Amino acid sequence: MNNYIIEFKDVWKTYNMGNTEINALAGLNLTLEKGSFTAVMGPSGSGKSTFLHVAGILDTPTKGFFRINGKQASKLSVKEQAKLRRNEIGFIFQRFNLMSQLTILENLTLPMINEDTQKAMNILDNMGLEGKYAKRPGQLSGGEQQRVAIARALINDPSIILADEPTGELDSKNANSIMQILHDLNRNKDVSIVIVTHNPEAAAFTDQILQMRDGNIV
Amino acid sequence: MNLYNLAFNNIRRKKLRSALTMLGIIIGAATLVVLLGITAGATSAVKAETDQYMYDVVITPASSTGSYLMDAETVSKIRSRSNLFDFREVTSFRENVDGKDVIFEGTNDWKQVKLNGTPGVVISQQVADELGYDIGSKIKVKDQELTVTGIETSQVQSLYVYIDQDTAKQLVDGKVSAIYARTNGDPKTVADEIEEQISGVSVETKSEKVAEVQEMTDQALLFMGFIAGIALLVGIISVINTMLISVMERTRELGILKATGFTNREIKGSILFESGLLGLSGGVIGVILGIAGIMVIANVLKLTEYIPDMMPLWLILGVIAGATLLSVLAGLYPAMRASKLNVVEALRNE
Repeated sequence: MNNYIIEFKDVWKTYNMGNTEINALAGLNLTLEKGSFTAVMGPSGSGKSTFLHVAGILDTPTKGFFRINGKQASKLSVKEQAKLRRNEIGFIFQRFNLMSQLTILENLTLPMINEDTQKAMNILDNMGLEGKYAKRPGQLSGGEQQRVAIARALINDPSIILADEPTGELDSKNANSIMQILHDLNRNKDVSIVIVTHNPEAAAFTDQILQMRDGNIV
Repeated sequence: MNLYNLAFNNIRRKKLRSALTMLGIIIGAATLVVLLGITAGATSAVKAETDQYMYDVVITPASSTGSYLMDAETVSKIRSRSNLFDFREVTSFRENVDGKDVIFEGTNDWKQVKLNGTPGVVISQQVADELGYDIGSKIKVKDQELTVTGIETSQVQSLYVYIDQDTAKQLVDGKVSAIYARTNGDPKTVADEIEEQISGVSVETKSEKVAEVQEMTDQALLFMGFIAGIALLVGIISVINTMLISVMERTRELGILKATGFTNREIKGSILFESGLLGLSGGVIGVILGIAGIMVIANVLKLTEYIPDMMPLWLILGVIAGATLLSVLAGLYPAMRASKLNVVEALRNE
């Protein structure tokens, strides 16, 4: 058993666009240690988001070997992959992706493996959202919504959090606040975190910055 | 909060659409209950009538005789048989009255004739209208004058004169058109014996007659069920449509569910639960409305005594279960589509 949270060996993701093949990932080799806090940067179309989707088992690679927390996702059934996502991985998206018709608290309790309202409220309190349990996402600011999304990502105590442009829709004050929360989580809860970002200020909160270009690390 | 609450929420937050979808099921279920219920009730009514007035055997002139009346000698032979008892005779004949062909029907049971006036010589409304007779008028038939004592009020659309059976029999020299009787022993055996030993008669047993009625009512039930089934099917198609639109609209939401670790089976389950819930609610409301419809129709048709027969438990539970099950099936295709969504594309959906 090694100490890697993410291992990619010669991973390819190829899209067919008519007669043209586009390699979003072109033989990506990458290992990230457990407890690491990593930023992946690069120009648009460099394969950052595809890397994050494959790492989060939201997308399947065309070929190659990869493991998440020691588990080879490609060898798991669709159901086991879903369980792995639920148990081990927390997602944070640029556009928050909260369920607009549910309250903040319900957004958290919905994906919980064992519904525990008190735990959900404690996490919201830690995110500075006490007293807002019954509000709906539309009633919160962008910064608050992203904190709800972080709270949701933490709800099943994941080993890793994957964040796709988590500060992309926020002003600099809120962006710094979100990055500080992620930094503290990494330090205090020992959660591995990978963020994909264009923002150097956000990347500055992490321990290592990887640059991607043409589907590979440069 | 779980996926089932979420499905319930989805129905609640799209109230108008859910209501319109349910309306299709409600109409289908209500139609099914009303049509099948009334048919079942009518079946019971017919059976009750059959049980009340049918004896073990009915003896009528054989068609080979070319007559619709049995002569006095044949009647006497029948009545003297030791294996027959509890006779009821009916004499019915046609006679020309004032240039019109009128049916004279012998009756012993005046309760069956809804009349204005007194039993005796009762004419149908049609006779009153077309031939100009009224209570107190005299009708001349076979050189006898009969005084009209009543007018039949149930609007039979034929020229009928109801007279006492004894009078009817006497008017046609003791002839009888049908003899109902009970039998000692197996009715079929007795019937065969009579046909063999008395010429010119045809004997039908009650079970044959009941089977005939049963077949007729079964066919009616099947036909009504088919018509109402189509109504329900239309409702179910609206469930498919609604669920497909719902899945399309909620593509992003379904993507979030998948990203947060819900399995395809759980997502399929929630869609099926939602469509099943629409079917169940529509089915229950439809059955309630159907029952109300039956009450109204039974009152109009004056069949209130058969109301319990019009709402058999199998019909009520069957319609609710059917509407639910068919709605779940209607949700299958949308559910499959939902579970097969590509998460990344779903999350990009606006």
